[in-house]
Amino acid sequence: MDGITGAFGWLTDPTHWQGADGIPTRFVEHVELAGLAILVALLIAVPIGLYTGHTGRGGALAVNVAGIGRAIPSYALLLVFFPILGFGLLTPLLALVLLSIPPILANTHVGLRGVDRETVDAARGMGMRESQVLTRVELPAAMPVMVAGLRTAAVAAVATATLAALIAGGGFGRYIVDGFALQDQSMLVAGAILVAVLAVITERGLTLAERRVVSPGIRLARDPDGERADDAV
Amino acid sequence: MRTFRRAALGATIVALLVSACTSGGSSPSATTAATAAPTAAASAVASPSTAASPASAAPTGSIASQLTLGGPPECPQRPFCVLGLKDTYGVEFKLFLPLDAGGPLSLSAIKSGLVDVGLLFSSDPSIQVNNLVALEDDKHLQKADNLVPVVRNDLLAKAPGLPDLINPFMAKLTQEALTDLNKQVTVDGKDSKSVAAAWLAANGLTTGGTSGAGIKVKVGSTNFYEQEILGEIFAQVLEANGFTVERKFQLGNREVVFPALQKGDIDILAEYAATALEYVNKGAGEATGDAAETVTKLNTRLAPLKLTALAFAPATDQNAFVVTKATADKYKLQKVSDLANPAP
Repeated sequence: MDGITGAFGWLTDPTHWQGADGIPTRFVEHVELAGLAILVALLIAVPIGLYTGHTGRGGALAVNVAGIGRAIPSYALLLVFFPILGFGLLTPLLALVLLSIPPILANTHVGLRGVDRETVDAARGMGMRESQVLTRVELPAAMPVMVAGLRTAAVAAVATATLAALIAGGGFGRYIVDGFALQDQSMLVAGAILVAVLAVITERGLTLAERRVVSPGIRLARDPDGERADDAV
Repeated sequence: MRTFRRAALGATIVALLVSACTSGGSSPSATTAATAAPTAAASAVASPSTAASPASAAPTGSIASQLTLGGPPECPQRPFCVLGLKDTYGVEFKLFLPLDAGGPLSLSAIKSGLVDVGLLFSSDPSIQVNNLVALEDDKHLQKADNLVPVVRNDLLAKAPGLPDLINPFMAKLTQEALTDLNKQVTVDGKDSKSVAAAWLAANGLTTGGTSGAGIKVKVGSTNFYEQEILGEIFAQVLEANGFTVERKFQLGNREVVFPALQKGDIDILAEYAATALEYVNKGAGEATGDAAETVTKLNTRLAPLKLTALAFAPATDQNAFVVTKATADKYKLQKVSDLANPAP
């Protein structure tokens, strides 16, 4: 309990809110790393997921291969990449990208496969090109599941970005690693609280974003009771 | 159709939202430096990133003021590190980068030039293998962790000549010798027994002595290879003089091995003067940078435990500030105090 009270004292100390080791700096570093990892993961996983989901080809393979990335601890990945990529953003970024791809890829694939076949056939029957079927029918219908995957990935990336501090990187993980080295329980717990708060904010933020990007028609069709469509994986 | 089209745009919006999360798209390359080395560099007050101490009237324009220091995360708040560098040497670095305690992070940060000065352990073979330069701690900031044998008094009572057998070899155990012994074991993969035998032979160990005939000695060691090499040296010196030696190596850490010495499970152990003193006196802070003084105090503290520290070796295993050969040449660095010289 000392750690918790100490952590609040630490968090409310104005000296911890400024400078190169201040919370704003560490926040920017943390969000930069996690955000960049999610962006890269989206750029890789969404096109693959769209292809496998739309065509139905290679989906199981892609999802399983990506799943392996999820099974290897990010900490191990970090230490494996470190000798090759060295210090800096690239090493933790790669570890986080590999962590973030599986949920995004799996949910994109599953989301697209889950679209009512009759709807897709009807779209084709109306004379839509394949690209139109994908962008106007399948993608909107799969959006709730895809966003759920993104949310899972983003929360994991925010929580795992703490590892960057183990190879001299920044972010909130700095407080955890330094707090441990200094045997400063307050700093350590404060770092953990900051990470947890950021993860919750990310979760809520993406849930709100989901309301915006999912067509009201889809929302109503999927959630007659007004409940949120949740993770497929 | 209209709903579908609107929702299709949603995909783009999600992507935009996330990219917005990457804080205005600051370039990754800049982050590489910024993430690792917080941007205090540019600020007028060049305080170490995690140091609590404000930078006062630092000798601006010193060599150190242009360099980055890397060390364990606790370094900025420890007397052996940033605090001591400032107080004892008047040396303040441009930046501090939190790494590890003389481990692989520190080594690669020094080698890659991420930091100019890093902390390694003085007997770490990586220093020699990578052609690094350990700066001489000329003002004795580091506590004197010289290698020193600690022996049970009841063994000394049985074998009063034992110190005279071991001390000459301790005197020959220089920093270079110890580092090389460590290198042969950790880098070249030789076993400590043959490494110790070769070193003893090269340093004039003669066999066939009989002064220890009929006396049993249990030589102990922690799990640390360096102490095991020392254990082998003790064992082989004693065997050459007729002692019956039992090796009890890999016993664990100091918290296990030192009590074993007190209980008589082992009779002799290689220790580090300052660390052993602070262990025995429960962190009373008596250890200094002076090896002779530290060993004298150690013996005062060991006496009630019926233990004795023999002669200490010149070789140490303590924190050392290390630079690359290129950095040493560029700034003409040999000693830690050279870091306070004006930058060229």
